[in-house]
Amino acid sequence: MRVYLELGIRSFRQVLTYRGATLAGLFTNSIFGVILASIFLGFYASTGGADVRGWSQSQTLTLTWLNQSMLMVVYMWGWWEVARSIQTGSIAMDFLKPVNFVSYWLSRDLGRALAHLLVRGLPTFIIGNLLYDLLPPQSAANAIAFLPSVAFAVVVSFAFRFLLNITGFWVIDHRGINYVAMATLNLLSGFMIPLAFLPDPVLAIVNLLPFRAIIMIPGEIYLGQIPIWEGIGIQLFWSVAMLAASAWLLSLGERKVVVQGG
Amino acid sequence: MDSLNTLREELGISWRIAALRLRGQMEYRSSFLMQIAGSFIINFSELLVLFALFNRFDNLGGWSLHEVIFLHGVSQITFSIADTLSNGIDTVPTLIREGEFDRVLIRPVSSYLQAMVSEVSLRHLGMLAQGVIIFVYALATIDIDWTAAKIILLVTAIVSGIALFTALFTVEAILSFWTVNSVEAINAFTYGGSDLAQYPLHIFARSIRWLFLWIVPIGFVVYYPALAILDKPDPLGLPGFASYLAPVMALVFCIVIGYGWQLGIRHYRSTGS
Repeated sequence: MRVYLELGIRSFRQVLTYRGATLAGLFTNSIFGVILASIFLGFYASTGGADVRGWSQSQTLTLTWLNQSMLMVVYMWGWWEVARSIQTGSIAMDFLKPVNFVSYWLSRDLGRALAHLLVRGLPTFIIGNLLYDLLPPQSAANAIAFLPSVAFAVVVSFAFRFLLNITGFWVIDHRGINYVAMATLNLLSGFMIPLAFLPDPVLAIVNLLPFRAIIMIPGEIYLGQIPIWEGIGIQLFWSVAMLAASAWLLSLGERKVVVQGG
Repeated sequence: MDSLNTLREELGISWRIAALRLRGQMEYRSSFLMQIAGSFIINFSELLVLFALFNRFDNLGGWSLHEVIFLHGVSQITFSIADTLSNGIDTVPTLIREGEFDRVLIRPVSSYLQAMVSEVSLRHLGMLAQGVIIFVYALATIDIDWTAAKIILLVTAIVSGIALFTALFTVEAILSFWTVNSVEAINAFTYGGSDLAQYPLHIFARSIRWLFLWIVPIGFVVYYPALAILDKPDPLGLPGFASYLAPVMALVFCIVIGYGWQLGIRHYRSTGS
């Protein structure tokens, strides 16, 4: 256990060293937050301030800023470290390490996520609150449940990214998979719009998929848009299911490893 | 006359380099096709989000779905061409960090043109194709009173927009002459600017509007020409000729950026040993 804690702490510190990148990222998150919030304000102006599909204007704005704040915490785009280690062959060295391969990467990712929560998530949400009248958590219970929900979101997101990376054993060029994953998350994770805005048949399918657990459920819990136990339950289910799938796919891939060179 | 001949010669050389780079990429056909399909899919997902929103809301700041799609089309055509032209410029920070930029400077061809063709990639063709498709879709669904003046306005706006975005992509390269840190904050202006240009400018907060009209004049190359073409009123209350300022604003912006590039080149100190 100690080694995984140590790995997490290392990743945590690593993020903190990139101060310039952090400031630049905060600026970019804020600009995109303002752009998305403006678009929703423009849309809500056409309803005369009425709720749409159970989402008030303030709730939608709050979700937009929560999502912008969570974006780096769940690291939705462009994490291909494992795929690259498969390409370069350095994965063979990682297999030799006396640690569980999935836990090795998961503990590193959790350390990274905690650092990003502090230096990217929290400041972005504060900026959002300064610029707009965002809602506080619906109740003290929702506020408390928000934190484990964020942790589960990171785990589901990690397992999803890990699965995509592991396809590197079979697919040499991961860019195609990356594009499809990005488009899917844009549409079906609730990152850009509350999922309730999707057409009903699509929504019925989306609720059966894991993408919602990656970024939107923490926001829904914060806002009281989903019963706390239902939200956490969905996330718990997908965390277990997708980590199990990761371990299984990895065991298939391991058999394929052929290392060249001396 | 001499300088004109030099320019023609330089453009000729640059074109040949660009053509060689393109032929190189065609050798990796599946990778090339995948990149094109990829940018298509990602932009398509964003378009689906727009359809979903208009399914639940009546209008966006008084604009209909098809009018917003018109903006998407114009903005995507402009941005994707500029992005294609700027691929090489994007690599300048890396060239500088690795000490490779010296090679560019000792050749007797304009440093900017060389940087531009140092990496030519057509991966934004997917986005361009999509821009054209949704632009045609918008034209088919909106009743526009086309006049010769409007067509000229549209073409000038697109050309000005390409120049503006290309210059904007150069800013990161210019900054990298002074700092070896990558300056990612500039993405907020390039990608953020192209996102913003896909929506009617008047829905944005005043500070953002001001930024994208008077500092990075993207509003003048997409939104204002679109107002005149679609015969929409201007809720921001600028004088009517604002719709025709695209070439002027783009030119001023390009001159400033060009001056910045010259300063950068003069300031450049090689990192190599």
